[in-house]
Amino acid sequence: MVETIKNSDPSLTLFPPEFKEFNWRLWAFIFVIILAGGALFLYPVGIYKGYVDPFYSPTVLVIPVVALFRISCYAYRKDYYRHVFRHPLACIDGIRFDDNRKGYSGEKTFFGLNNYHRYFLYAGIALLPFFYYDFYVSLTYIPGEFVLRLGSLLIIINAIFLTLWTLSCHAFRHLTGGHIDCFSCKAAGNGRKKFFNGQSALNRYHEQFAFISLIIVIGVDLYIRGLMAGLPLDFTFLKFAI
Amino acid sequence: MKEVTIRIRRSEPSVSSDVHYDEFKVPVGEGMVVLDAVHYIQQNMDQTLAVRWNCKAARCGSCSAEINGRPKLMCKTRIDSVGDKITINPIKAYPVVKDLVTDVSHNYEIAKKIPPFTPKEGLSAPFKMFQIDVTRSKEFRTCIECFLCQDVCHVIREHHSNYFGPKHMVKVAALDMHPIDAIDRSELLHGEGGVGYCDITKCCQNVCPEDIRITDNAIIPEKERIVDHAYDPIGILIKKVKNRRW
Repeated sequence: MVETIKNSDPSLTLFPPEFKEFNWRLWAFIFVIILAGGALFLYPVGIYKGYVDPFYSPTVLVIPVVALFRISCYAYRKDYYRHVFRHPLACIDGIRFDDNRKGYSGEKTFFGLNNYHRYFLYAGIALLPFFYYDFYVSLTYIPGEFVLRLGSLLIIINAIFLTLWTLSCHAFRHLTGGHIDCFSCKAAGNGRKKFFNGQSALNRYHEQFAFISLIIVIGVDLYIRGLMAGLPLDFTFLKFAI
Repeated sequence: MKEVTIRIRRSEPSVSSDVHYDEFKVPVGEGMVVLDAVHYIQQNMDQTLAVRWNCKAARCGSCSAEINGRPKLMCKTRIDSVGDKITINPIKAYPVVKDLVTDVSHNYEIAKKIPPFTPKEGLSAPFKMFQIDVTRSKEFRTCIECFLCQDVCHVIREHHSNYFGPKHMVKVAALDMHPIDAIDRSELLHGEGGVGYCDITKCCQNVCPEDIRITDNAIIPEKERIVDHAYDPIGILIKKVKNRRW
C-alpha cells in the first residue's frame, strides 16, 4: 500500500536528475571492450611510425588482465551494480528500481571475486612502465633523431592518466597506508602519512580518472588508426639530430 | 507572501492501517527551511502532526525525512532549494510510529554488537596520541546519527539483510582506525556484520549531511581489511608469519 502511494507521488518530476543521468563510464567501458575486441582480432594496428597502439600488446594475456582490473575497480563496480543490476538505480525514492523480490547477494557470492582486485592492481602497476616506454619509442623511432609529434603527446597523456587512475585506486590506498592505524608507531611514519594524504587526495578523483583514462585510450587508438588511414594529423613540433 | 504546497504522509500504524497524504498551503519567508514549514503547520493548521526534532541546527540528527523522495534533514533543507510542491515522507527503512516519526531502535541493537573502544595492552588513560594518527577517525566522529545513510542503503531498505549498515561501518571504522584501539572489528563485519552485501553504490555517501565520505573512507577500507585476512593468500601468509612466535 505504501509502495503504491509513493510511486504515484506527483512531487516527483517526470524525469528526475538521476533518471536523466547517462552513465558515461559504463557505456564507454562497454564501447572500449567492443573496440578492443575489434582492434585485437579484426583490425590490429600494432606499431605505426613509432606509435604503439594502446591495445597492442606482445601477449594476448595483457588485455584480459587490464579488463579485469577495470571490471573489479570500485568505480566500475558502482556503475554496473547501479546501471546494469539496478541495486539500486538511483538513491531517490520512486526510481530506485530495486525491491526485495529481486534476488540479491551483494559481493558475498560471485561478485566476491572482486575482492581479488589488488592482484589486478599489481599487474596494472607492472604494466605502467611500458606505456612510458612507448612514449620513449615514439620520440626516438628514427635512428639518430629526436622527434616530438602530436601522437607522442597523446601517448604521454594516456600514460599519465593511466598512472593517475592506477595510483588513486582504493586497494593501492589500503596497501600503501590505509592499513596503518598508528603512523607515529611506524618507521618513517610522517613520510608515510604524507604519502597517504597525497594518495587520498588523488583517490577523491578515482572515478573521474577511471573515465578520463578510458576515453584517452580510445582517443589514442583512434588517432593512430586515423594516421594509418592517411588523415593528415601527424604534426611535428620538434625535431633534431641526437 | 509566497506560498508553497506541502504534502505530508500521515499514518499511525498502532491505531489504524490508514495511510494518506494531507496537503497544506504554507506561507514562506526568505531562508525558511522545511522544518520551519512543518512547525508552522503544527502550530497553525494541524496540531496532531507528529515530527521528531530537537536542535534545528543539523547537529542532533533527529529531523530526518524524505523530502521529494530524497533523504534529508528537514532543518538543513531550504524551501527555495526544493520547489513549490514539497512532499515529506518519513524515512522508509524503519517502521513508522506516527506521521514523520519512525522507530530507529534497531540501530541501538546493532550498536551493542560492536565491541567498544579497547586500549592496547599496558595503556591506560590519559592516552597520548599524535595528530597524524587521529585525523582519519576524526572524520567519522562528526556523525550525528541521523540514519539517513541507513535509510538510503538498499541492502537495509529493500533487501532487509543482516548488514549492519553504513552508519555502523562509520562507527566501526572510527574504532578500527583509532591509534590506541587493540581490536580488529573487520572480522565481525565479514561475518555477522554482513559487509559483503554492500555493493559500494555510494548512496550513503551522497546523502550524508555531515559530508562524511562513508563509502570511500569507511566501508572500502574495511572491505580491504577483510580482504587482508579472508581473501588475499599472500596477505594471510604474511600475517601468519608475522604472528608466529619463533
